[in-house]
Amino acid sequence: MSYTLVAAEVRRGVFEERNLDSIGIAALLQKDIVLLVPEGAYEIKGNFVNIIIKTAVNEEIFLNPLNFITILEKIMNSRGKPDVIVFTHSSSGTELASYVAGHFNMPLVTDVSGFDKETNVFYKSYYSDKIFGEFRQAGNGPCVVTVRSGSFKEHVIEKGPVETAALEDFALAEGRTFIEYVEEEKGDVDITKAEFLLSVGRGIGNKDEIADYQELAGFLRATLSGSRPVIDKMWLPKAQQVGTSGKTVKPKVYLAMGISGAFQHIAGMKDSDCIIAVNKDPEAPIFQYAHYGIIGDANKLRDKLKDIVKG
Amino acid sequence: MNLLVFTKRVPATQEEELRIVDEGRGVDLSKVPFKVNDWDNYAVEEAVRIVEKTGGTVTAISMGDAESDEVLRRAIAMGAKDGFLIETDQILHDPGARATVIQNFLKKESVPFDAIFTGVQSEDDQFGAVGGILAAKLGLPFVSMVIGIDAFESDHIIARRELEGGLQEKVKIMLPGVISIQTGINEPRYVSIMGVRKASKVERKIFKGKEYDDNVNSTIELVKWAYPVRKGEATMLNGELDGICKELLGILKEKGVYQ
Repeated sequence: MSYTLVAAEVRRGVFEERNLDSIGIAALLQKDIVLLVPEGAYEIKGNFVNIIIKTAVNEEIFLNPLNFITILEKIMNSRGKPDVIVFTHSSSGTELASYVAGHFNMPLVTDVSGFDKETNVFYKSYYSDKIFGEFRQAGNGPCVVTVRSGSFKEHVIEKGPVETAALEDFALAEGRTFIEYVEEEKGDVDITKAEFLLSVGRGIGNKDEIADYQELAGFLRATLSGSRPVIDKMWLPKAQQVGTSGKTVKPKVYLAMGISGAFQHIAGMKDSDCIIAVNKDPEAPIFQYAHYGIIGDANKLRDKLKDIVKG
Repeated sequence: MNLLVFTKRVPATQEEELRIVDEGRGVDLSKVPFKVNDWDNYAVEEAVRIVEKTGGTVTAISMGDAESDEVLRRAIAMGAKDGFLIETDQILHDPGARATVIQNFLKKESVPFDAIFTGVQSEDDQFGAVGGILAAKLGLPFVSMVIGIDAFESDHIIARRELEGGLQEKVKIMLPGVISIQTGINEPRYVSIMGVRKASKVERKIFKGKEYDDNVNSTIELVKWAYPVRKGEATMLNGELDGICKELLGILKEKGVYQ
């Protein structure tokens, strides 16, 4: 049987929304869709796949790459090899996909955000979305892909009644074991409640600039937030990070200064009512998502704005 | 502890306009400055911090052209004992092919190690895959997106992986293993030009890439390069800075967030 295997991501008992992008690309591939899931009391809305295989292990065991290769081996032994194996392009999805590709010597394309049915070409981001590579499978065996969230969910189609199957009885790996989930510390500022976010990125240059942005935010009654590089460099606390690994925000106005717009950042702010982006680089991806754009030095604009609003 | 850390020299494309050339088969990087891959900088720092505490050595390894020596010198300036360059002018887009070269190299040169460190991904191709593929090929445990190492013992480590939305997963990994480091795990030390110059005195060994190309087949084929499909266009505010600022404040007033 020719089929596409989709590995579901379930975290803390939630069937992640981004699984719909994995199912969406599987729909484009036009083969039967087999969804592989861990145990748990979560709900899967809609009948978008042909078969669901429930694996008799919890999510922590299931999403461990060392166990996942055993699970996959068992499926391939009973059902034959799939044509394509789909993972989410997330922390766990990429970890699993690379380990699977290495173990079974399968072709791998990660961060896929487009697929051309006619040519079987996968589109993959390079250089922070400035260029895309068009890749085709060259080697044998199932092609492994990880898909960017938000890229394919509109292609999901209703499949009718879903068949279910169980998969149990495998030896668990000892090389890696789950200990516990850890929540990040809560900060003093809740950026998810703010109506107006002034958000800063790498483009502001260095830590010394932060104080002036804080001051401007004060004048504008805005809340200060930042993109990943700003948090990594410890210019702002982690609780003020916008993006997939930080917070998802939907303010009335999102004013992005010196942020180029990596997709992980875009995913965290694209639903804001009004996005205004300031960046030196006219090619910065953020301009494609912004309602208003200003090409220029963020710090100069900041200083001018401060002069106007304080007076 | 013998720790290996992989480091890559990448084009700094953040503020560069990139052109596709050669009928879609190439991207012109001739005028783009190069730098150390951000993720690898954190990985080198983490490995160096571990041996500073537990003893042992860090060896930096880079795969690339002769210019990649620069990132080895940088790693040595940060505290690596030495550096190996797997020299090749060939660009392997397939992370599986790159991992196979590395696997062949480690085997053929009998490089001893307790753990291999990599960055989660490189800034240019963003594959995020060489660490995982290499681990699987070597039959070793793997952990990626590591944002904290809470314990580093002779036979295992306790690491925290970054998930989404501020959640972390704490796991135990038996050694030897492969550990892929996420940015923000530490504050990489400052490296001066003098420091990099001084590191030139430390020997770096050069290995010819073609010695390690057994079974290196590309499992994926690059058809061509393409510019991104534009998703939308912003209304651009143009003119004098003063006028732009007033227009911006006008928008903020209209949206009701500023009086």
